[in-house]
Amino acid sequence: MTILNRAVRKTVSSASEAPGERASTTVRLTDVTHEYGTGGGFRSRRERTVTALRDVSIEVDPGEIVGLEGPSGSGKSTILHAVTGLLVPTAGTVELHGTDLTTLSDRERTRIRRRHVGIVFQRFHLLSSLSARANVALPLVQAGVPKSARRERATALLEEVGLGDRITHLPSELSGGEQQRVAIARALATDPDVIVADEPTGELDTATGETVLDLLTDLGRDRAILVASHDDTTLSVADRLITLRDGTVVSDGG
Amino acid sequence: MSGREVFGRIRAVFGLALAQLRRSPGRATLTVIAVALAVLSVTLLASLGVGVVDKGEEGLESADRDIWISSDPVDPTASGTQNPIVGAHGIAAEIHERDDVRSATPIAVNDVYIGSEPDELQRHSAVGVESTHSGYDFVEGEGFSMDDDPHERPPADEPQTAEIVLDPRIADELDIEPGETVYVGTSRETAAATEFTVVGTSRHHSQYLGSPAATVPFADLQAIAGTSGTDRATFLTVDVADDADREAVADDLAAEYPAYDVRTSDQQVQAMLEERPLVLASGATLVGLAVLGGVVLTVNLFALVAYQQREELAALRAIGLSRWVLAGTIGAQGLVIGLLGGLLGVAATPLVTRGLNYLAADVIGFERLLRTPLEVYVVGLVLAVCVGTVVAIATGWRTGRYATLEHLDG
Repeated sequence: MTILNRAVRKTVSSASEAPGERASTTVRLTDVTHEYGTGGGFRSRRERTVTALRDVSIEVDPGEIVGLEGPSGSGKSTILHAVTGLLVPTAGTVELHGTDLTTLSDRERTRIRRRHVGIVFQRFHLLSSLSARANVALPLVQAGVPKSARRERATALLEEVGLGDRITHLPSELSGGEQQRVAIARALATDPDVIVADEPTGELDTATGETVLDLLTDLGRDRAILVASHDDTTLSVADRLITLRDGTVVSDGG
Repeated sequence: MSGREVFGRIRAVFGLALAQLRRSPGRATLTVIAVALAVLSVTLLASLGVGVVDKGEEGLESADRDIWISSDPVDPTASGTQNPIVGAHGIAAEIHERDDVRSATPIAVNDVYIGSEPDELQRHSAVGVESTHSGYDFVEGEGFSMDDDPHERPPADEPQTAEIVLDPRIADELDIEPGETVYVGTSRETAAATEFTVVGTSRHHSQYLGSPAATVPFADLQAIAGTSGTDRATFLTVDVADDADREAVADDLAAEYPAYDVRTSDQQVQAMLEERPLVLASGATLVGLAVLGGVVLTVNLFALVAYQQREELAALRAIGLSRWVLAGTIGAQGLVIGLLGGLLGVAATPLVTRGLNYLAADVIGFERLLRTPLEVYVVGLVLAVCVGTVVAIATGWRTGRYATLEHLDG
């Protein structure tokens, strides 16, 4: 861990309650079931539900890259949302470093996510009006990191992803691959323990996608990484592959 | 969370807001102008209100009368055909006799026909007064040459002095100069048979009536209007003695003459404004619409900005930014726009006021119709802050609604 990483982690942690005892397994889903309610509304007498996950149990250790594969609607994104605490499953537990996210409030889950999880989206989701550096520094704004430290951290991360000469560029002035590299730098801004990537190469050509994956796996070493994708090349970086179908795990460790 | 962290976060939120505004100068300019127009409409209407009240007070002050006695309607244009006070000379003489009163004089207002030829007559308002004074600020010529006591002048059926002061614009239209003769009457027939000598030109009463007016001796106006018999007047004006309290005198007179409305000059201005509810309501409506328009345009624009960025906002929420920080970045833009627009509106107020005053003086003859005391600028600034806050809250709230998982797509 670099000195800067440690400094950021210290700043982020100082704004939090004491972190729980670090468990050997970073992410643990146990018997997770999730149903999306379509909401009956006052016109409909019956509330229809769709089961997105059914009794799913997964563990991801530090330094492990886990690939999630399966057709659309198989539950890949739902697992990622559950791991990040963006949704609370209908049943089961989701543990991050031994802390069960399902027992926490929305605000507490947001705090945990901010400190321990980095997210890489398919469509980058950078703010178009902000420079690459400002986009990378955004998560640190919420963490209360001072401006000079934010800039220093963001610049260092952009240099790590090979964009040291693009720090003041707007997203519109960057290629798709470069934008995704900015997004990876942003995901690493708070030095998270877990990185989730949902179709990280979905918007990129094959060569650019490979470069981005190399970067993600290189910078993400020592962290738990979950990558959801349809693409075999993307999934080939995984140490372990979990196959999903209709919300259930059909194979783990392939 | 420490105060320093909170301050740092607020600073960052405003920094992000300004960065976003800088990237969209066209949008920022448009919204600043919208808010500026809203604030400007309020400051200008407030300036007009202050100007009208001041003008009314000045008009009454230039008449230098402390108390005004009238009978509804007070509106001089509406009462032009009927002077509601009967026996004006008698009442004026009675009031004049009081120890706490220095003088009491009647004023009449009638519509009359005036022309340089008996068959070329124009309709104008004429004000009948006991005497003219230096406050008339004569453009040409002078006032009436009357030196007898008006209270002892017997009512007459024919004009006795037969002198008239015209507004300079009437004199120009008729191509008349002081010393020449005009025909004056309340009908075309009587006007052709009644001659007055123009002794001077002045705008004195025109400003009060809002249109070019003529001034004639009170008794002469009664004579041509045929109201000498009933001795009618529109107002009785009273000047109180130096040591008398005009409020107390007004109360006394109100008790003594319950059929009439007795007002001090301040109350008179208020009464005149209250009789124009439509004008006041129209002004308030226009200002309300301008403010609403400015706020709605700005809120709408930034709500659209939030909508356009809904996926990014949802993504930022996902990576751990709180709803407040995200709402803050958009809301702060609204606040900045509101404040900038407000300051621009306030800054533009003196310039636009000067332009409108020039126009008003040129077209309708009112000097300094719009006035901008400090209070007007304060009202403008308060409005700017209010608009900014409303815009910030509304846009921030919309942003908060977009920053949810439902809007996270890939």
